[in-house]
Amino acid sequence: MKLVRSKEWWMSRARREGDAAVGAGLLAFDPVPNERPTAAQTETAEENRIAFGKFVRLMRRRRGLSMEKLAEQADIDASELLVIESGSTHLPGARTVFKLAQVFDVSQPRLMELAGLATANDVGLREEAVRFAARSEALHKLTPEESAVLDSFVAVLSGKGSKRTT
Amino acid sequence: MTVARSVIYLEEVATGAAVEAELRDAIEEAQLADWQTKWQPALLAVLQELIRKGVSPASWPQSWHWDWRRKAAGVQGLLAFRGFAVVAQGETQGLAQVNLTGVAREQSQAGKPLVYLDYVEVAPWNRPELGSRPRLRGIGTALVAAAAMLSDDEGFKGRIGLHSLPQADDFYRRRCGMSDLGPDAAYQGLRYFEMTPTQARAFLAEEDGR
Repeated sequence: MKLVRSKEWWMSRARREGDAAVGAGLLAFDPVPNERPTAAQTETAEENRIAFGKFVRLMRRRRGLSMEKLAEQADIDASELLVIESGSTHLPGARTVFKLAQVFDVSQPRLMELAGLATANDVGLREEAVRFAARSEALHKLTPEESAVLDSFVAVLSGKGSKRTT
Repeated sequence: MTVARSVIYLEEVATGAAVEAELRDAIEEAQLADWQTKWQPALLAVLQELIRKGVSPASWPQSWHWDWRRKAAGVQGLLAFRGFAVVAQGETQGLAQVNLTGVAREQSQAGKPLVYLDYVEVAPWNRPELGSRPRLRGIGTALVAAAAMLSDDEGFKGRIGLHSLPQADDFYRRRCGMSDLGPDAAYQGLRYFEMTPTQARAFLAEEDGR
């Protein structure tokens, strides 16, 4: 099939198109970001989610990985990793959390809970998550304190550390 | 399969200059590679910027693709269907996939065959709705014109149909002059548009370039 029109025809049509968006079809369409289930909108889930994002970011930085590199290592979408680290209301996919747990060598069920994919019924984990989220900051390099907080939280997620009750 | 290449022109937005481009009547591996290695990272950069600016996810571009894996599989599938690609400046600037099994719904054409556009997308750097000044303009027009021309070649008299993304409704309604047949509940509420033979003639008219 050949479509033959003059340069002037194409240019006038391009100008007519202006700044209009042109996407069509479901393949070009994507629904609004995942809605969180009602249970996950509780304060606990919110705290855990923030901690999950911070945990992923610090673990990545400790390893000196870019988002793309970690996404490649974990075989997950870089876009989802970006959203997780941003602490937005996005509910990550179970596979994503599973792969991150593998890469970081922590307990998959606990990371699922932290990410909001499993019922958050572990009070100790929640307290540790809040403590971790409150103490960690997004700096270019991990401070010794951040490192210690991260180590302690990794131990909790790995099921090796003791959960404080205070 | 021989790919037919038509020379077309796009407008370079920054300068207003004409940029020579190719309209190809097939999607080839090179286009999928561009999608993977250029479109996807460009969209990722947009997302990073939105997050940096603190824009709520609910306000992100409607066609933002959360599931790149699913999206990539869908794009890979384009090879199996008839499609169009606009290539300029060494890069894929727009893609469309069509099928010839559509049936018209518009009252005066109901039941007649049409070319249905399954998918239309332009490169992120050409999408004004993503917040930056687009690089090239006219890609959507080229893809719609290609579909209408194919419809004519197939004896469908230029009839085409498509489900528009919400932000693109204005393009199909006003810039392409298509009939808006309203939201389609069977298609996630996207509005369904059709171009009748009369509208196709007007859209493709050689002397009408205003």
